[in-house]
Amino acid sequence: MISSLRQISQIARLTFLEAVRQRFFNFLVLLGLALIGSASFFRRFDFGPQELRFIADFGLGGIVFFGSILAIVATAQLFFGEIENRTALTMLAKPVRRWAFLAGKLLGIVLLMLVFVGLLTTLLGAFLWWREQQLIDFYHQLFLAHQMPTDFPDTQRVQIGGLIMNALLQWLKFDVLAAITLLVASFSNTNLYTVVVSFFIYLICQLQYIAHDNWDKIASPFLRGLSWFLGKLFPNFQLFAVGELLVFPAKIPVPHSAIAAAIGYGLLYIAVFTTLAVGSFRSREI
Amino acid sequence: MAVPAIKITNLTKDFRLGLRGVKLRAVDNLSFEVADNHVFGLLGPNGSGKSTTMKVILGLLEPTIGQCEIFGLRSDSVEARRLVGYLPESPYFYRFLTGRELVDYYASICNVPRNERAKRVADVIELVGLTAAADRRVGTYSKGMLQRIGLAQAVVHDPRLVILDEPTAGVDPIGSEAISELIIELKRRGKTVLLCSHLLAQVEGVCDDLAILNQGHLVAAGSVGELLRRDGQSNLVVENFPAAAKVEIEAVLARHGAKLRHIDEARVALDRLFLEKIGAADTHSKETQ
Repeated sequence: MISSLRQISQIARLTFLEAVRQRFFNFLVLLGLALIGSASFFRRFDFGPQELRFIADFGLGGIVFFGSILAIVATAQLFFGEIENRTALTMLAKPVRRWAFLAGKLLGIVLLMLVFVGLLTTLLGAFLWWREQQLIDFYHQLFLAHQMPTDFPDTQRVQIGGLIMNALLQWLKFDVLAAITLLVASFSNTNLYTVVVSFFIYLICQLQYIAHDNWDKIASPFLRGLSWFLGKLFPNFQLFAVGELLVFPAKIPVPHSAIAAAIGYGLLYIAVFTTLAVGSFRSREI
Repeated sequence: MAVPAIKITNLTKDFRLGLRGVKLRAVDNLSFEVADNHVFGLLGPNGSGKSTTMKVILGLLEPTIGQCEIFGLRSDSVEARRLVGYLPESPYFYRFLTGRELVDYYASICNVPRNERAKRVADVIELVGLTAAADRRVGTYSKGMLQRIGLAQAVVHDPRLVILDEPTAGVDPIGSEAISELIIELKRRGKTVLLCSHLLAQVEGVCDDLAILNQGHLVAAGSVGELLRRDGQSNLVVENFPAAAKVEIEAVLARHGAKLRHIDEARVALDRLFLEKIGAADTHSKETQ
């Protein structure tokens, strides 16, 4: 077991090193950073104290959008890179169990997503903090000059702790997406098929709250049962979409138990999809 | 009796093709053994089932029928793979690693103890003659160097059985010769080598035994000496052979009930000639520098 853990960490390390050298990763990171940086143009509009919310929405949206693309495409590329270049053949001819190989690949991608989310969240946090200081000064001067009845409202102030918690949830969501992609890759023959199917599954996961909302309206017990089953089969990504509620003070704050439940939910799906991927990969002919 | 390095018994492997699952039989009822500390050549045309057999030996494919053992262990077990080193055909490695980092990576994957790893890595890099290039990135290596670093990663965990799939594919005769010497060195160190190659001269030069496959069937197996011997015929190598002697020799042979079949001019093999000439040219260029 210890030797398998050592192998997993070695495979993860190399997967990560390979991934950060990929142009696609660097391109998405640069694009994400540029997107967050471009939020400075919001200063040209007069959003008032709401400006920080616009910047945060814009930045968080960018992290979700590019992060989802990266989680799917990088997982598919790194998996099929090993198959097509036959480095998987060299690896699996060694005393490496197939589950350890897959776990190493997934862990490498998890690290990659951590770096991606960490970089973009750090930039977004720094940018929000910088702009917040400017706005606080600006509104304070207006307040002192009696041109404003109140100072900069506390409800518009950024909660860095909430931003970090949101980053953690998004990272977990990307890891679930990577595990789904790995499952698809474990039985599919091409990179393209894996990417397309994984994007479809991502859309289902993203939109399945519609089915949840209409649960009770379905008359047929069969269809209700089917939609219930599909609702369990695919994770509901809306559970992770609590960015604004965490980053800014909310009237009803997100309870810690809900965040813990979302983390448990994500970890459970990662474990299930990875187990299914291992089962499928075990019988795959390399 | 010593446990054979590889024992394949009634191996059959079918592949299902397409949605209808049409069956393609890649290997059909194959049985052979590879003795410990022998160099064994596995030959056959493309599509003869060599790669499939090799993948079954490596535990990468499950047999449809039959079994495969490595030193008495099931070939698909992790324990068996600890005893095996493998060099794939036209190997591709992580280009951003240096040769030393690559071999070290595979050593750690094979659980070579940390305190032995640096020495073991240096030793195998020296064995394959890449010490000078060990700290260069693999992406800058020539094809021959890739084969040699591939061989280094295959033997870094000191396996008892080394499987080489087309180790000389795309390599020039000098590189080929170096790989042949490495195979002989591996045998000297007590390893068993399974060699799959289209370079028949190399197989003949280094292998003790061989098996020939065709369309999934074993068509010949045995020691190289036995298989290549022409029963009832011998060669005489004569220096300064006078034409007049031919008649007398024929008469002598006829008296003994034998017959002279033909007289050929002795020839050197083309790869030997190439190596001699290149070696001489290299020596000359070193002398004139």
